[in-house]
Amino acid sequence: MPHNPDFVPVLDASADTIEADLSQQLLLTRVDAVLTWARRSSLWPVMFGLACCAIEMIATATSRYDIARFGAEVFRASPRQADLMIVAGTVTWKMAVPVRRIYLQMAEPKYVISMGSCSNIGGPFAHGYSVLPGVNNVVPVDVYVPGCPPRPESLLSGLMLLQDVMKKEGLTGKRQRPEPSGDFSKMLPPDDPIRRELESLFPPYLSKDGLPRDPETGALPHDALVGGNS
Amino acid sequence: MYGLGVAKGMLTTVKHLVRPPVTVQFPDETRPIPKRARTNLVWFVERCTGCSTCAQACPDGCILVQTQPREDGSFLVERYEIDFRLCMYCALCVEACPYEAIQVGGPYNDVVTDPNQLYRDKPKLIELANDYLQKNDWIYPNGQPAVPQTIHPVDQRQHH
Repeated sequence: MPHNPDFVPVLDASADTIEADLSQQLLLTRVDAVLTWARRSSLWPVMFGLACCAIEMIATATSRYDIARFGAEVFRASPRQADLMIVAGTVTWKMAVPVRRIYLQMAEPKYVISMGSCSNIGGPFAHGYSVLPGVNNVVPVDVYVPGCPPRPESLLSGLMLLQDVMKKEGLTGKRQRPEPSGDFSKMLPPDDPIRRELESLFPPYLSKDGLPRDPETGALPHDALVGGNS
Repeated sequence: MYGLGVAKGMLTTVKHLVRPPVTVQFPDETRPIPKRARTNLVWFVERCTGCSTCAQACPDGCILVQTQPREDGSFLVERYEIDFRLCMYCALCVEACPYEAIQVGGPYNDVVTDPNQLYRDKPKLIELANDYLQKNDWIYPNGQPAVPQTIHPVDQRQHH
C-alpha cells in the first residue's frame, strides 16, 4: 500500500509500526493487489491510429505478436469503454482537438502511451507549423515509445512498462505523469480558432469565446442560445 | 467428381489444424532482427574523429557535435549528444560516417516514462557503447573486432 503523506497516526512514537502493521493487513493489501492486477491485465485501447505508426499498432494486434497475451486485444471503437489511448502517429494541430476530446471522454483510470517520434516531440516535423510538438502538450502521457515507427516489440515493451507503472502506483497512488498546462500562447497566435477550441477543453472549460459556464447547470452560454443542453 | 471441392476445402482446414502457432512469446523469445535493421544508434568514441559529418547528414538535426582542436591537428570531441526523441532512425548518419563510428545495432525497445531520458549525452552514449561491446564479445555491429577496453564515460584523455 503506498505511503500517504497526509496520514497522521494517533501514536507518533510508533508511527512506523502502525503503518507497517496496516499495510500487512489482509483485507487492505489483497484488495489493492487484486484490483490493480485486474486493472493492468485488461487494458483496452481505444481504436485510434493517426499515421504510419498505426500500421505497427495493428501488427501488434495480429497473431504474430498478439497483444491479447497482455489482455489488451479489444480495441474499442468508443472511448467510453477504453482504458488506454495509444497515440500512434503525427498529431497535427487540427487533430489535437479530437485527441484531447477523446481523452476527456475516456473514463478514469485512463492511461496514454505516446508511440513514435512524431507524437513524442514532433519527430521530423518538430519545427513545422502544422504539427503539435509533443502530444504531452495536450494529454498527460504515461509511457513514451521511441521509434519511427517503433517495432511491435517496442510497443509491447511500452505496454509492459505501463503495467509496471500501474503495479507500483497501486489503486490510491499518486500519478507520476505531469499534466499539460493548457497554455498554447507560445505555439499558436491569439486569434487562432484551433487555439480557442483547445483552450476550451482545459480547466475551467470555458466556452470558445472565453465565456464562463452556468454555475447551476454547467451548460455553456452557446448551448443555452441554441437550446442544447438544458 | 462431386465432393472434390469440399474435400479440398477440408484439407486446407486440416492443414491449419496441425500447423504450429505463429505467435512469438515476445518477452521470453524474440524474432531475429536483420543485421542492418535500423535500430538504435550506437556511437563509439574511440572511432570518432569529430568531423561532424553525421550531424550534417541528419535530416532532423538531432545530433550535436562540439569539438576542440588539439595541438597535433586532430579534434577532441567535447560534446556528442543524440536526441532520440527526434531521431527517426533513418541511419543516414551511419551511411555518412567515414570511420563507422556511429552504427546501427542498439536495442529497439528502450521505452521510458520520462521523455528527457531519450536525450543522450556523451557519457550516456559511451556507457551504452560499452554495454553493447561487452554483450557482443567486443565485436562492432559491422563485424570488425574491437579492443577489449571499458572507456570511462567522463575521462577525456584516453580518447584519441
